[in-house]
Amino acid sequence: MESTQDKQIAQTKPGRLAASAALATLNEDYYRDLANAKEEGRPVVWITSMAPIEMVYAFDGIPFLPENYAALCSSRKVAAEFCQAGEARGYSQDLCSYALCTFGSIFENRGPFGDEAPRAPDILLATEGACATHPKWWEAMQRHYDCPLFIVDAVYTVDGETLPAHHKEYFAAQLRELASFMEEHTKRKFDMDRLREVVALSDRASELWDEIDDLRKAIPTPISQIDVFTCLFALVTLKGTKEPVAFYEQLRDEVKERVDNGIGFVPNERFRLIWDLFPIYHNMRLLNYFAEFGAAFVTDFYGNAFSGRLDASDPFGSLAERYLSFFMRSAQWGKAELYRKRVREYHVDGIVFHSNRCCRCFTAEQPDIGNILREELGLPGLMFEANMVDPRGYDDAQVKGRIESFIEMLEARKYPKEAGIK
Amino acid sequence: MVSEFHEAYSNRHQLAEGWKQAGAKIFGYFCNYTPEELIYSAGMIPVRIRGSSENIDLADAYLPTFCCSYMRSALDQALKGGYSYLDGVVFPKTCDMTRALYDIWRRNIKLPYYWFLPVPGKRTDEAVELFTHELRLFKESLEGYSNQEINDESLRQAIRVYNENRTLVAEVYQLGLSDNHPLSGSQVFGILLAGLIMPKEEHNAMLRRLLDSLPAPNTFPGNGTRLLVAGNNFENIELLQTLEECGGEMVIDDLDIGTRYYGSTVDENSEPLQALAERYLRKTPCPCMHPAEPRLERMLELARSYRVRGVILVIQKYCDTHLYERPWIESRLKEAGLPVLSVEHSDTGWASGKFKTMVQAFIEMLE
Repeated sequence: MESTQDKQIAQTKPGRLAASAALATLNEDYYRDLANAKEEGRPVVWITSMAPIEMVYAFDGIPFLPENYAALCSSRKVAAEFCQAGEARGYSQDLCSYALCTFGSIFENRGPFGDEAPRAPDILLATEGACATHPKWWEAMQRHYDCPLFIVDAVYTVDGETLPAHHKEYFAAQLRELASFMEEHTKRKFDMDRLREVVALSDRASELWDEIDDLRKAIPTPISQIDVFTCLFALVTLKGTKEPVAFYEQLRDEVKERVDNGIGFVPNERFRLIWDLFPIYHNMRLLNYFAEFGAAFVTDFYGNAFSGRLDASDPFGSLAERYLSFFMRSAQWGKAELYRKRVREYHVDGIVFHSNRCCRCFTAEQPDIGNILREELGLPGLMFEANMVDPRGYDDAQVKGRIESFIEMLEARKYPKEAGIK
Repeated sequence: MVSEFHEAYSNRHQLAEGWKQAGAKIFGYFCNYTPEELIYSAGMIPVRIRGSSENIDLADAYLPTFCCSYMRSALDQALKGGYSYLDGVVFPKTCDMTRALYDIWRRNIKLPYYWFLPVPGKRTDEAVELFTHELRLFKESLEGYSNQEINDESLRQAIRVYNENRTLVAEVYQLGLSDNHPLSGSQVFGILLAGLIMPKEEHNAMLRRLLDSLPAPNTFPGNGTRLLVAGNNFENIELLQTLEECGGEMVIDDLDIGTRYYGSTVDENSEPLQALAERYLRKTPCPCMHPAEPRLERMLELARSYRVRGVILVIQKYCDTHLYERPWIESRLKEAGLPVLSVEHSDTGWASGKFKTMVQAFIEMLE
């Protein structure tokens, strides 16, 4: 049965996603809007990931995510210089490289294309919804730009699943306060109906993202991890506008068509893996190295954090729930349950942990999650260190050697006959 | 007699084992945002979980090496059974590490009781209200565990004991205002450490004895160059001893176990849980809190009133929240005319020649 499938896949190796062209247009349009924001009188709001971006679009603002920007710098191979420039200003080399790279760029006023740093923000909006370092980073930028800063305090609870009412209310009250703050600093009126529209669009983008993620369960899996990370841009930055909805509908249809026709991203898919967690922006091609051994990533625990369902009939309440209870905020037992479920539903053979040296928040628990998955499910794991943005010190040959050994081990487990093991 | 404080700290595990054998319940806690008064009023002994200078052997299977040595070391001690006397541990959510370590401890260190305490990151009225609610939940949980009601009276009593402790430590700090103070910075540090790991009424008794028996002022030779030591997560007294060997001295601090812990009393006239919530959220903040300015302002105020010549800024390596603030803190201190010696540490190497040379050069520059 396996060999029949192999033949079929070999005949139908997919090309580039047709949706990529649409994504390129979205990217260009976004950066044009950003460049023209001042002229068009639209406020530019620098936000952290996991901040309520919907509030920015409700004020017709343009959100700018320095994290996204640092990723761009990294892929443009300027991150090492920018991180160094950040260090020269006294920031530790161990800090989040999204932050360090952004610091270098804005302090030196240099951009990724030999140009200048992004235009200064009109407003800074942060939350510790993801990590406790975000507000600190934003405070530092506030001192640099001397512009208004609002921090939405997203208090961590014992787990993300059982959200107590008083936490939801505390968060929602801050959103109301944020609305007044935005009114004051944008000179625009807050419009609840407009927020409802934005929330509905954001919800729809997430719904489509979840559908696409669901399609990755197919054997063979239809889409590459690089494509997933690339296509995530619309969900991260444009969620709450019409554009990602149209884009993800197109992408979903294309991915579904591949699934219906049994087309896999990796010709002759032999291993199905989970990617945990951050991309390595300076070396995205590493993901393809796995494909050389027939290993495909079938899900990841990064992109899905940006998807969150909302309810337009209760914008503040549902935003509070969404930004307080996404899975990355789960306690270990919640995370472990999610990982177990994924392993089962996506027919996973192993998990790859990118131990992201600059991020304690989302890497500190990786070893023990790995312990749980090994002890309970016998799931093999590979853990290797890198830095998501800063390429300095990254040893490609060593990492590839580790990957090869890992694949050999998977081979011996899954295909003992072919591996020569009786 | 002043050496008894540091000795007690050095023997903290043996002391705790002794209390345990005598029937006491002992609760470990992380971070100065744990309202210990609640634990104390439930009839249990709160002790701060600390790092140690011992090698880290077991923790690396559970925690990446690029996490702070404090958390790695504390976990390592626990994995080796060093904390088996604990009945429970409380993790307040202040930094990303305390949250992660709650999970890792809970799964791998079998203890009867764990509690994760959500802590707001702001000091607004709404934040105080939320924290008051959280303290009520924590109180109810402690009552359930200890089978002992925590009523207003027991809580007020705990608050009085803790406030007395804060007042006595403030008296110790005030000695440093004088150029001829009777206690060295390293002795004061021993006093601060001891208060973390023993019942407060014992610490209070020791402090009263010490303050009563101090020799009269003006009987001391001049002390070293006056320094403020700021930062976090070191417990190794060698740092203070090195400062003294090099002709300097800590006369005041901005430390997680120092003024940020012992400062600010709880209002004894308000509703106790509300008063606790206010005290913890509105004390001199650690960098996990927003806004950051009150800490800097407090540091500048202390530097002025204690007439310090320079600041030693010792920040735990990999401690993100502190490290984000460092460039700003340094530049504001320098603007205020205070030279800064800034070090990222793993609480080792304080007696090394390299560190001594740095300190010597710094102190010479101040003189």
